Amino acid sequence: MSFELSRNIIIGQYIPGNTFVHRLDPRAKILVTLFLLFGISFTRSLIVSFVYLATMLVIVWSARVPLGFVLRPFVRGLPLILFFLGFSVLWLGWQEPAGIVFFQWGWIRITSNALLMAVLSLTRLISLLLLISLPTLTTPITQLTYGMESLLTPLGYVGLPVHDIAMIATISLRFVPILAEEMERVIKAQASRGGEIGALSWREPMQIGKAMLPLVVPLFVNAFRRAEEMAVAMEARCYVSGAGRTRFVQLHAHLIDYVVVVGMLCYVIAVWYGADLAFNAVLARFA
Amino acid sequence: MHALAGVNLTIERGEYVVILGHNGSGKSTLAQHLNTLLWPTQGAVWGKEWNTRDVKRTLDIRRTVGMVFQHPDNQIVATVVEEDVAFGPENLGIPREELLRRVDWSLEQVEMQAYRTRAPHQLSGGQKQRICIAGVLAMQPEVLVLDESTAMLDPQGRNEVLAIAHRLNREQGVTVVAVTHFMREAVDADRLIVMSEGRIVMDGPPRAIFQEREQLRQLHLDVPHVSALAAELHARFPGFPGNLLTVGEIVKEVKKWGAQYEVRNTQHEIRDTDFAAPDATRNTNH
Ligand SMILES: Nc1ncnc2c1ncn2[C@@H]1O[C@H](COP(=O)(O)OP(=O)(O)OP(=O)(O)O)[C@@H](O)[C@H]1O
Ligand SMILES: [Mg+2]
Repeated sequence: MSFELSRNIIIGQYIPGNTFVHRLDPRAKILVTLFLLFGISFTRSLIVSFVYLATMLVIVWSARVPLGFVLRPFVRGLPLILFFLGFSVLWLGWQEPAGIVFFQWGWIRITSNALLMAVLSLTRLISLLLLISLPTLTTPITQLTYGMESLLTPLGYVGLPVHDIAMIATISLRFVPILAEEMERVIKAQASRGGEIGALSWREPMQIGKAMLPLVVPLFVNAFRRAEEMAVAMEARCYVSGAGRTRFVQLHAHLIDYVVVVGMLCYVIAVWYGADLAFNAVLARFA
Repeated sequence: MHALAGVNLTIERGEYVVILGHNGSGKSTLAQHLNTLLWPTQGAVWGKEWNTRDVKRTLDIRRTVGMVFQHPDNQIVATVVEEDVAFGPENLGIPREELLRRVDWSLEQVEMQAYRTRAPHQLSGGQKQRICIAGVLAMQPEVLVLDESTAMLDPQGRNEVLAIAHRLNREQGVTVVAVTHFMREAVDADRLIVMSEGRIVMDGPPRAIFQEREQLRQLHLDVPHVSALAAELHARFPGFPGNLLTVGEIVKEVKKWGAQYEVRNTQHEIRDTDFAAPDATRNTNH
């Protein structure tokens, strides 16, 4: 844990740009993200997962987002990821059908199907990481909030307080930098009185827990006080939940946004049903 | 135990009123009665022709009496400056065209147009507080209540905010009610109200109120340095006016006296004690 928390906060790390991906309506981005999320998560085919990885790489490239930047959490977590992958290869080693058995020694058995599963998980993981990072990297977070609110509007008719949810999301986002700053201040204040939170590593969970307590309590107390003041200030500015508000920010969907949404939906369906067929057809041609 | 008791107060349109009082004297409580954030348990508060108890008028009163609080961070709702300024009129259901115009106008009033797409946490304290004022102005209020809105600011930020409040008062005819602990801010007001134990104990123009140094001292309040200086000079040289409030006034008066001194100087020697302010020696002793 470092003193410069506010600089390490990833949420809403928007990289300004003017690419096609940046200009897309936030609602279109959210929908396309959901389609792809569905496609990537539920495929069990290695071919399909490779197609998605390639798709994601193309999108990342076209948004001019530095790949290294997006993959940083992956690289950091790599030891852990490899550990779990190795573990699951051993675990799946005894599952049938096993395919080709490469290696067997005692209870350890490495099979081709287990390895394929591991590769599938890995490509899926990378694709998901790229997918999840893209919306916040290419859209100001407020736009995403408005997009979400707009998409959820139909649910308002069945009683979901859509507007309140959006308001809560906005205020939470507003408080992220404030609370980060406050946390930094509290850590420094504790450190100056001999608290050691900055010096501890995650290998000492008990000490971390003990050192966190005097840090978390004032943070929470402050957050509640802030929330209360904020509520009064909002009331003073005539806030009445929901009805009758007009909107300063308005989203405008263009033809291209509709085309992208429908196009990507078709693409996901086509890949879902088609990629394996196409691959097999190509194989048959050459076999 | 009442937070406010026996308060009888009329604030006229276009006045610049400053409310003083020690901690817990009921200033914020009074301020929050002005726009229905609080209701009196006895008696009534009227804004224009509306009783604050009339819930149908709550929004009318709140848009007429805009309120800015102490901590700018706890008043800014949105993550982009212009969206925050739009928050009030959005709540009032102002049509979008008008909304855009008001946001432009309000940002212009506080000279923050250049920052309209910034995130609030990238602004200085004074700038944030100006955004809060813009957010209130966008509701086009007739009264601006500032509850210690300059307390968290450095001198520059404080001056920025005060300059805006005074300009709005002068040019737009906005009534200003400012709660503060800074005597400097009280000097420029049309009217001072001093509170203690939930009551109004003094009410009048600053020049008259700062004359009552003994009473203010009992209420744990200072007088502005300039007033104190003028009073000391008055005690020492009865001909010197004791009710001056600004540095400019003191300078003018001293110049006048300097001219007389040169005349007197030729007549007899000046003794050191002529210049010793009685209070200065007293203060250094304890
Ligand atoms: N929510 C509350 N519940 C009960 N008592 C309160 C509440 N808020 C304020 N009081 C009491 O009302 C009195 C007046 O408080 P108020 O906040 O108006 O004082 P103030 O003059 O604004 O003080 P400060 O200069 O510290 O802001 C105080 O005695 C306080 O303890
Ligand atoms: Mg107060």
